[in-house]
Amino acid sequence: MDDSSVSHHNGGQVGSQIGVSVNNKQNEESSQSVQYSIPGVLHFIQHEWARFELERSQWEVDRAEFEARIAFLQGERKGQENLKNDLVRRIKMLEYALKQERAKFHRLKYGVELQQGDMHPPPDEPPQEPEPAERAQWKQGHQLIKQYLQEIGYTDTILDVRSNKVRTLLGLTNEEQAEDPSYRNCDKQQHYSMNTALSRKMYDYGKERRKAGVSQGGGGYNEEGLSVQETAAVFANFEFLANQEMDMDEDDLDAKQMHHSTGKQGEEVDNDTEEVLNELNLLTESEADSGGQGDEYPAVKFPHAGGAAAGTGEADEKPLALGELAQLTVSNEAEGYDVANASKESFRKTWNAKYTLRSHFDGVRALAFHPTEAALVTASEDHTLKLWNLQRTVPAKKSAGLDVEPLYTFRAHTAPVMCLAMGMPRSEECFSGGLDGTIRVWNLPPPSADPYDPYDPAVQAVLRVACDSLAHRVRSHPTLPLLVTAHEDRHIRFWDAVSGRCAHAMVAHLDAVTGLALDPNGLFLLSGSHDCSVRLWNLDTKTCVQEITAHRKKFDESILDVAFHPLRPYIASAGADGLAKVFV
Amino acid sequence: MADGVQILLRRNRPGSKAKDFCRWPDEPFEEMDSTLAVQQFIQQTIRRDPANLEAILKMPEAQDEGVWKYEHLRQFCMELNGLAVRLQSECKPELCTQMTATEQWIFLCAAHKTPKECPAIDYTRHTLDGAACLLNSNKYFPSRVSIKESSVAKLGSVCRRVYRIFSHAYFHHRAIFDSFEKETHLCKRFTYFVTKYSIISKEILILPKLDDETPITQPVGESEA
Repeated sequence: MDDSSVSHHNGGQVGSQIGVSVNNKQNEESSQSVQYSIPGVLHFIQHEWARFELERSQWEVDRAEFEARIAFLQGERKGQENLKNDLVRRIKMLEYALKQERAKFHRLKYGVELQQGDMHPPPDEPPQEPEPAERAQWKQGHQLIKQYLQEIGYTDTILDVRSNKVRTLLGLTNEEQAEDPSYRNCDKQQHYSMNTALSRKMYDYGKERRKAGVSQGGGGYNEEGLSVQETAAVFANFEFLANQEMDMDEDDLDAKQMHHSTGKQGEEVDNDTEEVLNELNLLTESEADSGGQGDEYPAVKFPHAGGAAAGTGEADEKPLALGELAQLTVSNEAEGYDVANASKESFRKTWNAKYTLRSHFDGVRALAFHPTEAALVTASEDHTLKLWNLQRTVPAKKSAGLDVEPLYTFRAHTAPVMCLAMGMPRSEECFSGGLDGTIRVWNLPPPSADPYDPYDPAVQAVLRVACDSLAHRVRSHPTLPLLVTAHEDRHIRFWDAVSGRCAHAMVAHLDAVTGLALDPNGLFLLSGSHDCSVRLWNLDTKTCVQEITAHRKKFDESILDVAFHPLRPYIASAGADGLAKVFV
Repeated sequence: MADGVQILLRRNRPGSKAKDFCRWPDEPFEEMDSTLAVQQFIQQTIRRDPANLEAILKMPEAQDEGVWKYEHLRQFCMELNGLAVRLQSECKPELCTQMTATEQWIFLCAAHKTPKECPAIDYTRHTLDGAACLLNSNKYFPSRVSIKESSVAKLGSVCRRVYRIFSHAYFHHRAIFDSFEKETHLCKRFTYFVTKYSIISKEILILPKLDDETPITQPVGESEA
């Protein structure tokens, strides 16, 4: 029954629905005198239906949760795989270096070539003999550089350029070579400034590494040699970056000069080109030799036994692995690029609207996420605040659609609620300021609360009366001494909190900027504007990463607030159209 | 604002004084191009003079009547929040254990799966929450520009329940009712609204006619509530 009043004195009321319905019921009961009455059956059906709806919605929520979980795990798996690949690569290279070392040692001691299967240096190319060890070390140094670059986050672009250069040198990709100059040019232009900035750091880093290598000393030839080689590699890279705008030949020359100038080189280090070519030769050589990998030398066994974990697998797939190794430089770099790109891609996720929170009758002025839970509070011009649990949809009554229903409506303000702040974690408090001149403190009901629970006055804890004047949006960076402000003149400005100087200013929107939020790691900035759009900014580059058109206009106002969840991957926007939206 | 001189922006900026809130020149209805034009128009008219029921409820020409009624009901529910806030301080569950107006009826709270005898304050809150939920439901009211006929029919039951909040306040918390009414003229406007559009049958309107007389136009059609 849709209506719900019941006649108190069952007498005279005929005009009212309930009176009639009750009478009907009685009539039916008396006339049919069966156990099932029509209203009873209807009620039963209705009840069942509501139950099914409820279950269905719960299943849907479960499903969504599981899907998110799957996506997360898949991402994690991908990351682990990348890590694994990288480590395997390193192991291979170390093994290779060890073998080279052994060959060298044997040669120096006995003056005879070590006939060691896959290690066998090409007999027709004696000058290249010292190269492999050096190459491995160079490779190691290169890895360190790469690691460093990854740490500072520019790996993709640099490695890309690098890999392109190598490709050009090897002449592996002729078709790419054709378009190479333009490509490189554009890359250069893009990254030149960055590189010059980087080169300084790289230099320092190289010095540091060298010091570290020297101080480790005592370890003897290997470590010392390594550190020198590392330095060389660092310098080579440094040089490469610094001279990126130059031609290939110049680059080679410079690299050579640089090596000379370091002056520490015991061995004559050749230029990049030769190195790469040697590498390739060597690898193809060793691939050719891999078939004749003999067991006549026990020394050969040793590394295999030592590097059991990687060795066993490697031995089986030697041809394959070497095939892979043959492309080491190229595929490595390409992969490095892909990995970096992929990780960056997943990091730079796009946000999609997931929940629309409909329940306010008028513009939503402010919102704030719960410090820990997947919940948020919205404050509206309809004088109320509402608490929403994103992970629990309230039992869908017949009137409710698939929207999220608010868990609780905070009623105490007698004028539009203008601003809102969440208390410290675990304090379970939130504060709201209204146009009625009051600031109110609320105890948040538990996330398990039911909207139709009895009224509990304890929710409204304290009442403080104050004059609340709203300031412009100001947000402070979670880790840096940086303030970000939103302005009516469409600008977002960044301020050095120490010196008080304006560090950066940009026109960020087509209309007044009204909302700002920084993500908990301080990498991204979210802004909302009366131009109806929410924009996500990379704080590092100050570029817009994503734009979402989220709300409609009421008078000349549109988006009134935006927020990041402090722990979970949610962002939200509040609009003058009375809606709040949550993006995942 | 560089261009604020030429273009008037109807905005509440941070730091505005409460008295300046929404105090901008009226915008003619014809010039409102937003999807929320009806709400804007209604609020603008109310802000001008909450007592002028004729003006508030005079539907602009060529306006969809369903949307007009819907937006008004949204506004009523929104403003009723003010009455609920006042009642919260006085209408205690121990005192008003049932939702009653006159002694004749106990109203059961329809927000629950099986209607319950909620205390009056809970009934009030649940009814307003339920109304907010229904009126914002994507299923029944996905658009604020056009509304299905079947959804317009839902407005009746909301009005009927909402009216009980007025009647409870009137018969049990008269002081609150009077001060609220004096400020907002909400009950008068509501009565005028439901009568004008014949949303609730006259028998249910149990409150005596409120002091100053507003000409109530004759209902257009037969009551269906």
